[in-house]
Amino acid sequence: MNRTRLVTLLALSAALLSMATASAASAKTTISMSGSTSVAPLAERLAGAFVKEPAYRGKVGFRIFQGGSDIGITDVSRGRVSIGNSSRDPKPADPSGIVFNKIARDAVCVVTNTDNPLPNLSQNQIQDIFSGRIRSWNKVPGARVSGTIDLVVRTPASGTQDAFQNIFMGEDLRVAGSATTKSTNGLQANAIKSNPNAIGYASFNFTKGLHDVPYAGNLCNLRNAKAGTYGGARNFFMVTRGKASGATKAFIRFIRRSSKAKRITQTNWVPLRG
Amino acid sequence: MGAAGRALARAGARLPGSAGRPRAGGQDAGGQEAEGRWSDARVERLLGAVACLVLLLIAGMVIFVFAKAWPSFAGNGFFGWFDAKGDTARQMEDIFNSPANPDAYEYELSAWSLLWGTAVITLGAVVIGLAFSLFAAIFIVEFAPARVNRVLEPVVRLLAAVPSVVYGLIGILVLVPFVADHFISPERKESVAFVVQLSGGSVLVAVAILTVMITPIMIAIVVDALRAVPRSWMEGAAALGVNRWRVMWTIAVRTARPAIIAAAVLASARALGEAIMLSMVSGSTYFAPNPIDGLTFFLEPTRPLGAAIVDNSEGLSVEPFGQTLYAFAAVLLVSSVALSLGGYIAKRPLRKYGVRP
Repeated sequence: MNRTRLVTLLALSAALLSMATASAASAKTTISMSGSTSVAPLAERLAGAFVKEPAYRGKVGFRIFQGGSDIGITDVSRGRVSIGNSSRDPKPADPSGIVFNKIARDAVCVVTNTDNPLPNLSQNQIQDIFSGRIRSWNKVPGARVSGTIDLVVRTPASGTQDAFQNIFMGEDLRVAGSATTKSTNGLQANAIKSNPNAIGYASFNFTKGLHDVPYAGNLCNLRNAKAGTYGGARNFFMVTRGKASGATKAFIRFIRRSSKAKRITQTNWVPLRG
Repeated sequence: MGAAGRALARAGARLPGSAGRPRAGGQDAGGQEAEGRWSDARVERLLGAVACLVLLLIAGMVIFVFAKAWPSFAGNGFFGWFDAKGDTARQMEDIFNSPANPDAYEYELSAWSLLWGTAVITLGAVVIGLAFSLFAAIFIVEFAPARVNRVLEPVVRLLAAVPSVVYGLIGILVLVPFVADHFISPERKESVAFVVQLSGGSVLVAVAILTVMITPIMIAIVVDALRAVPRSWMEGAAALGVNRWRVMWTIAVRTARPAIIAAAVLASARALGEAIMLSMVSGSTYFAPNPIDGLTFFLEPTRPLGAAIVDNSEGLSVEPFGQTLYAFAAVLLVSSVALSLGGYIAKRPLRKYGVRP
């Protein structure tokens, strides 16, 4: 007797569940994205906030893929996704008919141990240090420590590594293979904190307890990054095929205008409006 | 009555020979129905199905991992994958930045530094741990006063269950800075500066913590084995005037050899699969520590397979990169199977006078 009741209950709940999902699925528009792995974490969090907005709750869903800026741009130009994420500026060779919508900026600070407060580094110096051309602090003017330069960087899969590579190293140079590659911001910061000879890079929200090295004379902070005077920054774009429309338009508008989106962007990136 | 009868009948059905025999106290209809439902034949088939499901799951997992990993091996040629040439860090970066076109995926990888790092750390920890656990077990079984044992044994078993990430935290916050401050001089750093950076995270710390991690479980197994040695064999030796140490070493330990091998195999499997802790303390650099460097060898960083998977898991969504990580996993799977097989083969000739816990 009990068993029959249990079975009925189970069947009922299963039926209810399937009905609920079916009805939800039918009313939803889905925004799909692919592209830059650096933009993806930001896009994911923005999407999470957007689906909680009262006006769009239950009406909009997201599918987020990654794969690099070029993949995002190709995908969106062929109409495979609604948004292609790009962490690089438009190039002349890009397919025609697409629109680059700027959504945020991304800045990378070069950081050292507080025992070694470097007064300034130029792009050339940064390239020499990180590519392993200079391996001793004795050859870096302004260094307060001597001995080897210990590079502490991030694994290639991290967005910060990608940003550093694009902003500071360029196409041809690579970070030296002997560098210690940490998988998280926390482990990297910890390694730099405990080693006076270390140098690394971080998004500016992870520089607490470390020395921010001014780059080409400008301090690495939110104000300089917003104003564009800090050179270690790049743009994030959401690329659409033609002008954005419908749910996609609403989403991009939400990112640019709403204070909620600004708060999310500020955690790790640079919002466009102060 | 109905429920009690059913419960009784169910209990009865589990005992061989008792199924179907009428019970005192009466069988009602419900009871017979339940007995029919839980007859031995049915239970056997049901449990058999569950056991087969486990086998199927394992087979499915192995096939899945190998299917995923295949392009990475195929892209390098079997021996190329295990090669030592090339800068692994740069290769991993190239794989991650593969173009979108599947035909142009980048797979070139020489994973020797990962394999070497895994082997050095695992072997080091198992060899040291084995020596430790053998002597600790002899102490616990034969020499320790009962009072000491009452504390020692539960603590050993508790230590075997400490999550590895706790050891990792202790390693990165205490041991790594300690090694960096006390063992790594600026001269030592400069001597290898063009090859690798010494920053504390090293083979030494990794082996030390891994040893602490795997020794308790080895102690527990060896203790059980030594206890299982027939008392009469040891008493016979003692009666001939041999002292306690000699009795333990020549009779008990020799008899327990299969169990000691089993302990070593189990510990190696745990050491092989350790990822989080090693990712925190082993130095996070694709580098094969070089024995020619003398003592510096122990202070050089490396990155074992398990740690490499954890460190790079952010990039799983990039297809060739994910396939490379699956290839690491496949190598780990094969190694653990080889370990079990090796243990089985090593145990066979020892079985005649052996005990197993």
